[in-house]
Amino acid sequence: MTTNQEIILSASDVEVQFTVRGKQLRAIRNISIDLYKDETLAIVGESGSGKSVFTKTFTGMLESNGKVTNGTAMFEGKDLYANKTDTDWEAIRGKKIATIFQDPMTSLNPIIPIGKQITEVIEKHQGKSFAEAKEEAIKLMEEVGIYNAKGRFDEYPFMYSGGMRQRIVIAIALACHPDILICDEPTTALDVTIQAQIIRLIKKLQKQYGYTIIFITHDLGVVANVADRVAIMYSGQIIEYGTVNEIFYEPKHPYTWGLLSSLPQLGIKGEPLYAIHGTPPSLYDEIKGDAFAPRSDYAMEIDFEEEPPMFKVTDTHYAKTWLLDPRAPKVEPPAQVSSLHERMKQVIAEQEEH
Amino acid sequence: MKKYVWGRVVRAILSAFIVTVIAMVMIYTLIPRHLIFKTDPTYQKLGGKADDRERYKNTAYERLGYIYFDEQVDMCKAYAADSVEACNVNGSSQANEVAEKYEADGWTVKQYKAGGYYAYKDVPIFKIVANFFSNLIEIDHPWRVNDSSNPDLKRRIYFGTDYNGVPALMGEGTKHKYLIYFDGSFPFIHQNVISLNLGKSYPSYAYTDISKVISSGQGTEKSTMQKFETGSKTKSAVIQHSCTYKATKNLDKLDKNKFTDNYATCDTTKKDPSMIATSMTFGVLALLLAYCIAIPAGMLMASHKGKAADHIGTVWINFMIAVPSLAFIFFGRQVFYLLGFPTSFPSLGAHNIKSYIPAIVILALMNTGSLMLWTRRYMLDQSNADYVKFARAKGLSQSEIFKKHILRNAVIPIVHDLPASIILTITGAVLTETVFAIPGTGKLLPDAINEHNNAMIVALTILYTSLSIFSVLIGDLLMTVVDPRIKLTDDGGAN
Repeated sequence: MTTNQEIILSASDVEVQFTVRGKQLRAIRNISIDLYKDETLAIVGESGSGKSVFTKTFTGMLESNGKVTNGTAMFEGKDLYANKTDTDWEAIRGKKIATIFQDPMTSLNPIIPIGKQITEVIEKHQGKSFAEAKEEAIKLMEEVGIYNAKGRFDEYPFMYSGGMRQRIVIAIALACHPDILICDEPTTALDVTIQAQIIRLIKKLQKQYGYTIIFITHDLGVVANVADRVAIMYSGQIIEYGTVNEIFYEPKHPYTWGLLSSLPQLGIKGEPLYAIHGTPPSLYDEIKGDAFAPRSDYAMEIDFEEEPPMFKVTDTHYAKTWLLDPRAPKVEPPAQVSSLHERMKQVIAEQEEH
Repeated sequence: MKKYVWGRVVRAILSAFIVTVIAMVMIYTLIPRHLIFKTDPTYQKLGGKADDRERYKNTAYERLGYIYFDEQVDMCKAYAADSVEACNVNGSSQANEVAEKYEADGWTVKQYKAGGYYAYKDVPIFKIVANFFSNLIEIDHPWRVNDSSNPDLKRRIYFGTDYNGVPALMGEGTKHKYLIYFDGSFPFIHQNVISLNLGKSYPSYAYTDISKVISSGQGTEKSTMQKFETGSKTKSAVIQHSCTYKATKNLDKLDKNKFTDNYATCDTTKKDPSMIATSMTFGVLALLLAYCIAIPAGMLMASHKGKAADHIGTVWINFMIAVPSLAFIFFGRQVFYLLGFPTSFPSLGAHNIKSYIPAIVILALMNTGSLMLWTRRYMLDQSNADYVKFARAKGLSQSEIFKKHILRNAVIPIVHDLPASIILTITGAVLTETVFAIPGTGKLLPDAINEHNNAMIVALTILYTSLSIFSVLIGDLLMTVVDPRIKLTDDGGAN
């Protein structure tokens, strides 16, 4: 849990549009969120909800047909969106905000030795000589858990396993000494045992290097492990955010309820696993009211007519649903969600028995 | 890796062998043999003299290995060795007897109009093939020469000095006098021990070794002041290091003025470069020029995708691919003519740089179209790769990413094709060489086919096939240098 409340990055009213086959698509619709120093913010949402697109705007890495059309992202007193060209962004990318991508298999250049891919960053950002950079790279490789780092310095990516490549990707990101580390589903392509190792590594090194993490995932199990705060995204908006405990134990938005109810880890043997019916709305069209309303079991008339504002639950917990309006009827979250705490204890106890 | 390469080499040799055998069987069984005389002026002139023509024809066949051919005197030597003279009289009983024996052996025996038997028999196709391959690689040794007119011939290999006093490995009884020697031309150490015998050319370059036809200088002889073994100093075009054995009975006075021994049959220095050298000069320079233009141009197109440079490049690529080569060559030739360059190679000759420029530039430009297309394509493929995105996220600049990451990956497929492109310039550029009348290898094969120069066709088949296969192998080996992921092993890299 974060004690430091210093804001490192403040995004407000961010809107991103893509031009696809001559049509405008609103991928991000007015997101505002603050990122606190040294915390880990998890952004959760299903595919296409805009998690990656939103974080890509912080490093100017949107696809060429995408554009930030509104909003600001204040970082170190300046608006990040004032950077236009690749040259402008060079001062930010890597050095201030580094990104780890989903697929370690293709993130490394296949024909350049591992070591050189680390040292080129150190040489570039810290202005060190190759010899110094090599020393530091080996230290980094050891830190991310590469056994015999010196011997493996000159090896090529194809000689490394997927988990080891992701460790190298982390080492490269750390070599930049970034203030913010964006982890864009860093464990999705890895198997479960390796996933846990990588997450533990990222957390361990956070203490050591003192960076702030934005962790993008669609896996709530991972979120519970790493995050201090969680933001839930749906159709290009953050619909609820709060501390981990608030999101897991006192969720307010029906979509968050749906997500938690469909956690496979918490399913009970023999009972069908819950699934949110329907599909997200098309982002080509103007969305009226609450984007989740057509799929929600708790939708009210107002949900189809007017977009809900962000309601404050606590100082740290906000949710964008009409259910929190004082005029709304009192609705209890589904049983699975309200009993989540007990169920989790039970699951952990079961796991320990085995 | 070593094992794999050897495997590839063996397979390459086997493939070249099979292709050549197929070519030989087709040529020697399907094409009427008499067609080789179609363009032979001597044969045409002998039209009125049936006996001479018959003798000329069969002698040619025999020299080219088509048939066994014996005239009466040879027949008598074979079956009536003790009474050759009596047998050699036309109509004698011995002669008839010998003729019957030949017929019994499966020969076709005929009589000249002027009298006298002659007999011929086809050499079976498998024998032709076997002869070709068993004589393909000649190794010189001291028992090589059989000269009945020189019974005292010594046979040995020894260290000596050449006519200039430079040390050399020399031989007696060998075909060549100098087996290993040094001189001032690249690669400075040369050998005559192993030589390639690709057969003899006929009817064009009558009975010259094919390997000499394509690799020896052309044009008029070029004499220089030379010192000979006898001490005489004369102006001569002879290349003394190339001298081979000449039978004592054939040695003349001129030979004896220059040489102290029997090694008096020598190649001569010519003014113009050989066919291979000519074609390769044009080909390699054109290739270099094409790469120098097309690779930067393709890269420029890729990095300015969708912008003006890309559009202009696309127009050029389309133009180069759409315009027929021949039209482009004639068009280019006209442009160069207006710029003051010659329209054909021989008008200024091989020693004027102006003779080379038009054809080299035209050849290069013709290559740029597809090269630019592929370079652009490879670069774009790489630019969209994940590792490029990550490199950008690391904070590398666009030009660093380009130089350190994209270029190295994009160059891999280009490197693979490079050896083949260079080596296969040996085969010449048919159209360009024809238009500019360049004496290169390009026209060799089409001409050989037109003239029914069968030995030449076979020789070029084995030569070009081997070169193609080996250049692919070299390309693969080169790939392992630029791409660490590629390991050439039989088990697909499992070890």
